[in-house]
Amino acid sequence: MQEHLTIRLDKVIHQKARLGIMSILMVMEETEFNYLKERLKLSDGNLSTHLSTLEKEKYIKIKKKFVKKKPKTLCHLTEKGRQAFLEYMNNLEQIIKSMR
Amino acid sequence: MKEEEKRQALENIELIKELVSQTRREMSYYGGGWISIIWGIFCFVGVGGQRLLNPIGALKGLWWLILTIIGICASYLVARSEIKTQPQNRRHNFMRWFLAFWIPLIILAYVLTLFIIFTPGLTPLYIPIAILLVISTGFIILGFSFSREILFMGIIGFIGTIITAIFFLEYGDIITGTLFGVGLIITGLVINRRWKEQ
Repeated sequence: MQEHLTIRLDKVIHQKARLGIMSILMVMEETEFNYLKERLKLSDGNLSTHLSTLEKEKYIKIKKKFVKKKPKTLCHLTEKGRQAFLEYMNNLEQIIKSMR
Repeated sequence: MKEEEKRQALENIELIKELVSQTRREMSYYGGGWISIIWGIFCFVGVGGQRLLNPIGALKGLWWLILTIIGICASYLVARSEIKTQPQNRRHNFMRWFLAFWIPLIILAYVLTLFIIFTPGLTPLYIPIAILLVISTGFIILGFSFSREILFMGIIGFIGTIITAIFFLEYGDIITGTLFGVGLIITGLVINRRWKEQ
């Protein structure tokens, strides 16, 4: 029973950095690359890798634009990502409840 | 293994909670302390002006209207200068939050003010009571989402306004003006100190 619940956890989200990205995006809808880097204390390369993983799963969308001639990378949560996050939270709660 | 899984699940939930609440707090800050101080001054100036304009009854409603417009503009300018350092999308979120939350409440306060002015038999002494009840309701709603200080201020303000309306209506403007003026300025100072430290 327990094993079954753990297997249900979304492996894409079940990683500290990606979980952090998803948590912030759940509140902010859209945010900048640099903000995520600063909040989660990740390097450029590391953050890029995690963002790509989330983007590949269509959990987030990444767009690049120029603001005052400076490039900005913006990330936002997709509906699929929102649902996946809520399901992940639900599964975490189930695990904790089942172990009480 | 079971214990390890439980520990990790708890850790992840803690991480989510922390990030979500910290992000919400950051989004709600945007000059919140200074805005609170501005509205504290608004209370003192508003009540003082109302007392001075007492003989010219019709100007009272106009006085509060002009003052509220100044208050909104000042709050907007303070918030805008605070978020200049924030990413562009967060400014966007703030603007939506500001407009969606405060503007309807302020409109409601003015509908009530006009209702009091144009309803025969209702004394203008109810004007600050109505405005302050609406403002304290706004603080209670915000307090539930963001901070205990704001919630506390809202509850004290709401109860204080009702007690004043029932027992001390004649001095209601002075009592509520002082209560809200001091309360909002203290809340603003506390918010500024606590959230800037984080």
